[in-house]
Amino acid sequence: MIVMKSIRRCQHIITVFLSVFIIGTVILVLRINREAPFYMSHSENYELGMVYDRNGDVLFDGLGKGEYPDNHFIDVGNLIGDDKGQMENTLVAKNIDKLNNYSFSAGIVREGGKAAIYTTLDHSANRAVYNAYMGAKGCAVAYNYKTGEILVCTSLPNIDPTKGYGNIGNMESGTLISKAMYGTVPGSTQKVSTVISAMEIMGKEKLFSKKYSCQGFYINGTDGKIDCHNSYGHGEQNIQQAVENSCNPFFAQLVEDEDMSLEKIKDMYTKLGYAVSDGENDAEMKYIDINGIECERASTTLTDSADFSTQWGCIGQGETLASPVQLMMWQSAVANGTGKMTMPYLIERVTDVYGDETESSETNYSEQLFSSETAETVKQILLTNGENHYAYSIPGYNVAIKSGTAQVKDGAEENALLVGFVNDTANPIAFCVVLENKYSTPAVAENIVTTMLNNLCSN
Amino acid sequence: MSNPVSYFFSCLFVLAAHGTMLFSVFSNGKYSSVNDVVILAAAVIGLDLLYFIVMPFFRQKTYAVDFMLVLILNMSIIFQSCFGGVKLDVKHFVTCITALASCRAGYILCCDHRWIESKKKFIWAGIGILMVIILLFTGSRSMWIDLGFMTIQPSEFIKPLLILACATSVSEQQNKHQIWKFNIVYDNLIIFGITAVVLLFQWWCRDLGSIPTFGAIYASGFILRICYPKAKYSKKTLIIAGICVAVLGIVAIIVAPPYVKERIFVNIWDDTSGTGYQQSKALIGIAEGGWFGKGAGNGMLHDVFASESDIVFATICEEWGLLFALMMILMLLIMTAMPLINPPRSYYHGNICAGVCAAFTVQMALNIFGSCNMIPFTGVTLPFISEGGSSMVTSGFMIGMIVASQSPEFNQAVRSTGTTRTMNRG
Repeated sequence: MIVMKSIRRCQHIITVFLSVFIIGTVILVLRINREAPFYMSHSENYELGMVYDRNGDVLFDGLGKGEYPDNHFIDVGNLIGDDKGQMENTLVAKNIDKLNNYSFSAGIVREGGKAAIYTTLDHSANRAVYNAYMGAKGCAVAYNYKTGEILVCTSLPNIDPTKGYGNIGNMESGTLISKAMYGTVPGSTQKVSTVISAMEIMGKEKLFSKKYSCQGFYINGTDGKIDCHNSYGHGEQNIQQAVENSCNPFFAQLVEDEDMSLEKIKDMYTKLGYAVSDGENDAEMKYIDINGIECERASTTLTDSADFSTQWGCIGQGETLASPVQLMMWQSAVANGTGKMTMPYLIERVTDVYGDETESSETNYSEQLFSSETAETVKQILLTNGENHYAYSIPGYNVAIKSGTAQVKDGAEENALLVGFVNDTANPIAFCVVLENKYSTPAVAENIVTTMLNNLCSN
Repeated sequence: MSNPVSYFFSCLFVLAAHGTMLFSVFSNGKYSSVNDVVILAAAVIGLDLLYFIVMPFFRQKTYAVDFMLVLILNMSIIFQSCFGGVKLDVKHFVTCITALASCRAGYILCCDHRWIESKKKFIWAGIGILMVIILLFTGSRSMWIDLGFMTIQPSEFIKPLLILACATSVSEQQNKHQIWKFNIVYDNLIIFGITAVVLLFQWWCRDLGSIPTFGAIYASGFILRICYPKAKYSKKTLIIAGICVAVLGIVAIIVAPPYVKERIFVNIWDDTSGTGYQQSKALIGIAEGGWFGKGAGNGMLHDVFASESDIVFATICEEWGLLFALMMILMLLIMTAMPLINPPRSYYHGNICAGVCAAFTVQMALNIFGSCNMIPFTGVTLPFISEGGSSMVTSGFMIGMIVASQSPEFNQAVRSTGTTRTMNRG
């Protein structure tokens, strides 16, 4: 009896070792079965499927056997990308495992594989927006602020990847990236963030009671001169008027106001998603994940309320950068009236090699950035601005909007920006349009927005 | 031979398995001349037949483990001979024959547990000699001795010796000595000391892959020493000991030097041409092979460094498929699990079986899970499947120890002395 008991103990030890190993093997097999498409995305042997827009139009042809009109992909090339490795931050590059016509059981399926990504993009609207730039540089992005579906996202200059990269050495800067995902100088569109911050810090009543005078410029607390675009000055204004006039001296004085401590501004900006540097320590840029695509958020440097570049940072120049996608997302938090951003996405659904749906989208929201009261107030300010200043240039839509002019390349060029949303439950569209070097092109930012809305709202 | 019919059909089963594999090589394999397949087939079938003829000369109660061993070894010869193209791997063929011989040696030395237990001092001395050899000949950052015509990994030979050293009998555990307030078994202290020194040597050689194997052998021996039947068996003590080991492991990871941390926390997909090269290639190979493989010799992994040893599981998956590779693993597991089906007849042999199982499963886990990026990649061999003479010889010897536990000479010894005492006092 004792002997049997003792030997059973030896057997228990053997059982434990074998059991642990078998459990590990089962985990390994399950893992291989699940992750094999990802492994295959690093293989030299693969067969990619298709990427479609929301209406079934092809945005990427992994098989390369389809016939398409010349420059069919020119408006989406640097967003959708390809598998050639020249563009890394694109939909295909980041989701190549989902696009692989492969499964561990079926292996590589050369013919008849049904792996596909169905995107939320509207290719015809995207193409129309692309054309509205008339060859100028810039980018435009629009999404449904209720659901998060990205409807338009184009960036110029762009590339039709099917034509290859033979002239890569002569390509213009920015051709191989979707600029909507990268930080740009926001110009006066930054004032939306500053208004939101002021509203959160002071409250609506106090903010609306604040009035500052504009003489065409403002000499700040450190003797820095903040110029206004209106050299004659706007006179005394409240916040509504200052937003409509996009008055720089007003905002410089607002930042300097004793009711707006710099620490509170920093906290508010950080909450909004800015990487805020204090001038000594760099802040690390934060990113938004859009189906694997890394999208920069925003960054700025704030050192002192009376400091020249801090004030310009809050006005939209200086060290401040924000990606067009981020600018658009802040609009969603205002448009929704909740203070929560709707998180954007590009992939509506994914099918595997057999055509079975493996992934589908869902709407997500950010954490609460600001109160719903602030959202409603800012919404009203922007709607009034749209009604008073854009009713003719963007006709037919009840738009809430803020414009911006960003000086870049040491003031040698000026970019035009428009951020806003349509206040219409049937067409809940938020957008951001950037037109680079606006004086060098016949294209106009308002026309681009109008084209965008005409194409999206008519569908 | 107690059952010749069973023996005959077991032979047929092994031949059928190898024949099927060889037919697969012939029909789906990549070879330049059919002669290469014929030579491979002749070698495999010839070795099968030779072993079937030789085995009955050893009078054993069961030949189950032997059949499993020859089945696996000839599978291994087919695998290794087909990587990248069919051609008999003569070196591997010879090492497999050496493993079979080594298995016989293990069986002969260990079938009488009282005799081998009485030679413990020689086992300790053997470990000591091997450590001196390591100290003098391998160097502090190497685990190999290059003899010119071949290389030897002396630490491999310590594994079966440590299993024998860690194995104990109930009577030995009752031989306690009072030291201050504690009842101590001297042998337990000695084994602890030997294991500690062995582990330090492995660290010194940077043979980090062997440390978990030695640790597992000692852990199995340690548990069976503190849990022998008449000891105060406390689950609570075991759980506390387990927690302590886990905490020690976590602390070790935290304080580990940077080069160790680099090996533990590596994202292979960030550096597929550098530190993650072998593992990423291995996983890609497994994915490309799927369930049923590309066919013998049609893989690409044979071009990757250590494809025939460290990442051999993936190389087999690629050419033969994951299903076949899992069957191969199952064979290895069944071989080490034989003591569960046919229990050892003494506590000492039970200890040996547990030690062998610990060594095999840990080594298999390190090789398979490491090459598949589930755990740090340590570059240890897969018993009987990877190329490597030292590993093959020691693995064969360890399986011989299991064979000995299945067919001990214990019964015969009792019969010869004519005693009527209980047979299984070990």
